[in-house]
Amino acid sequence: MKRILIAGIGNVLLQDDGFGPCVVRMLEARYRFESNVEVADLGTPGLDLADYLMDKDCVILIDSVKSEQLPGTVLLYRLPEILQRQVEPRMGPHAPALTETLLTIDLLGAAPAELLLVGVVGHSYEMGCNLSQSVQLSVNLAIAEILRELARMGVHFESKQSAAEPDLWWTKPPVCRGAGTGAAGE
Amino acid sequence: MTRRIKIDPITRIEGHLRVDVEVDNGRVSDAWVSSTMWRGMEKILQGRDAREAWLFAQRICGVCTTVHAIASVRAVEDALKLQIPANAQYIRNLILIHHALRDHVVHFYQLSALDWVDVLQIPRADPGRASSLAEGFSSWTRNSREEMKAAKDKATRIAESGQLGILTNGYWGHPAMHLRPEANLLLFSHYLQALEFQRKASQAVAVLGGKMPHIQNLTVGGVANAINLDSEAVLGMEGLESIQVLMSEVSNFVHGVYFPDACALAGYYPEWFDSGRGGDRYLAVPDLPRDAQASQYDLPGGYIRDFAADSSSRSVRFMDGRFRESVTEDVTHAYYRGDKALHPWKGETIPEYTDWHPDQKYTWVKAARYEGQPAEVGPLAQVLIGYMQGHALTRKWTDAALDRVSSIAGHRIGIEQLRSTMGRHLARAIRAAVLADLAQEHWQMLVDNISKGDCSTHNPPTFPDGEIEGVGTHEAPRGALSHWVVIEKGKIKNYQAVVPSTWNASPRDKNGVRGPYEAALLGTEIADAEKPLEALRTIHSFDPCMACACHAFDPTGKKIGTARDL
Repeated sequence: MKRILIAGIGNVLLQDDGFGPCVVRMLEARYRFESNVEVADLGTPGLDLADYLMDKDCVILIDSVKSEQLPGTVLLYRLPEILQRQVEPRMGPHAPALTETLLTIDLLGAAPAELLLVGVVGHSYEMGCNLSQSVQLSVNLAIAEILRELARMGVHFESKQSAAEPDLWWTKPPVCRGAGTGAAGE
Repeated sequence: MTRRIKIDPITRIEGHLRVDVEVDNGRVSDAWVSSTMWRGMEKILQGRDAREAWLFAQRICGVCTTVHAIASVRAVEDALKLQIPANAQYIRNLILIHHALRDHVVHFYQLSALDWVDVLQIPRADPGRASSLAEGFSSWTRNSREEMKAAKDKATRIAESGQLGILTNGYWGHPAMHLRPEANLLLFSHYLQALEFQRKASQAVAVLGGKMPHIQNLTVGGVANAINLDSEAVLGMEGLESIQVLMSEVSNFVHGVYFPDACALAGYYPEWFDSGRGGDRYLAVPDLPRDAQASQYDLPGGYIRDFAADSSSRSVRFMDGRFRESVTEDVTHAYYRGDKALHPWKGETIPEYTDWHPDQKYTWVKAARYEGQPAEVGPLAQVLIGYMQGHALTRKWTDAALDRVSSIAGHRIGIEQLRSTMGRHLARAIRAAVLADLAQEHWQMLVDNISKGDCSTHNPPTFPDGEIEGVGTHEAPRGALSHWVVIEKGKIKNYQAVVPSTWNASPRDKNGVRGPYEAALLGTEIADAEKPLEALRTIHSFDPCMACACHAFDPTGKKIGTARDL
């Protein structure tokens, strides 16, 4: 059985950078997967990403990406593009070192055979716990891309009859204040 | 001739670091360290329930998740004067130890080794001789000729293909690289093995803390683990045994590979004990409490006021009250409003960006000060403080390390020479060896305590109506971490995290006194200004949690060369 990882990458405290974690938590709330599929919110692991990618057959990563396209646009990247483009596409402001990680585990022959990066073009990476509206609207688009990829690979999944409430604890009030605003209570 | 070298952001690991270095006649004559990225995550916590602060704190840095989570719950518990059960102490300690061991190994092999190891020399190495060399250093089972040959074949294939992959940007052939081919091969083969090993340490954390990289088992007042020796659903004998197996594997790697490798590298590059010294002040906070009351710690903390002075005037013991009073953050040269040094409980985080002005404001890092002075934090500080206090495990491993290094170098390297670029690497390996021993001890204390019938893991918190203040400290892989919290009616009123990089990557303060990175760079010899690898080596010795690259500039600002993280 193929070992599959679906991982959200990004910092949930930097607005649109929280896209990846948000998507995987929504996905978990709505769908049930078999035991060979691991769904994870990995935050911003830098090179520690290696731990999670090693010995996986297929990996789907969800992250914010830097691009000239309109905020909210969902872009797909495959493994060869990521490896060839060295540090491109640049992954948000926190530098999750995706290319470096893949090249490093490639030395061991432990890199995944297939990798899909589902990237969203962010609007704002200021401090804050909620996605911008344009990016929020793309959450379902990203989930659709993940499901399409799973179907392509012949991976079984099913909708939960009653979807659970996604665990997006960081978005709960008090509403986060943006950079530079005053003290608590405003 | 004076040249300026700029060390600039490059994607690698969390955060961005820039270092500007002025080079005069082949030596660094001045340095400015700045972070190009504002965190200030503390603001997000204001107004939130103090019980959930740790969840947010854990997201400050994706690499140091557990570190911030534990400092945060400790801060709230300190404000409440809430004692936690002994089991909770041990479980937290085991998590902290394994996080640290993993972090130190990753730093040595993934983030630093290629500053010293020239992979392109490996095709000339003799695997048999590399194996004998390795077997002379330790009894690790994977030092065979076959292992060395496999690593050599891999490096040779990479070199011949011209497809260097992750090794593309190395400093191959740099004059400051002088390991013989067999030593390069030995370290490269362990670099590959380290990638496999590092997962074991994470697995040990996951057994206790839940799915990584964000642990889920913390709670203000203890841990959320339920303990029952007869159950498989909660932490029972099976879980404890699986931790012990992972712990032994981690410990074997640290003692059999990392520690001997760090000693060997240091012995081969003894000139790096004469470079990168930095300031005279060191700070470490005590950690690994041995009981519920935290009346005793297994890692000593303390403050060295002036290492250069005679030992009678050194202040080494950690004094909790003094620590609470003595920490300030100065924003004279940081992009925040004001020019005062404020205590963290009174701390402000009001950004005021002004571009890079070395004489005015030039960084997002505040200047952390202890009794008004900069202090170096990290494994070097911890080892020096432990050694001077006569801490038995620190003495044992420091003496062992210095003996090994001296015998390889062919001359005596003393404790005072740890205050250097290479000394920081060696101190990190010494600390790892100490922690690997302590892991066994804290696991045993946990098992013994449970066997006595104590299964408690949590004391529920009660928040008073009035305002309370607390500080939570943790001696993290990069050094003294403190989270400072002010709570009113259970809600967070103020929150400041004084992280190790606030100490080490600190800018100048209002008196113009340089921070530890800046001070350590002074006097560094630069062989080739177009590839200032040496400056990078000194910065890397601190284990910055930020990526950096060096750009060499002449006095007019014209770029003349580059060195950067791989």
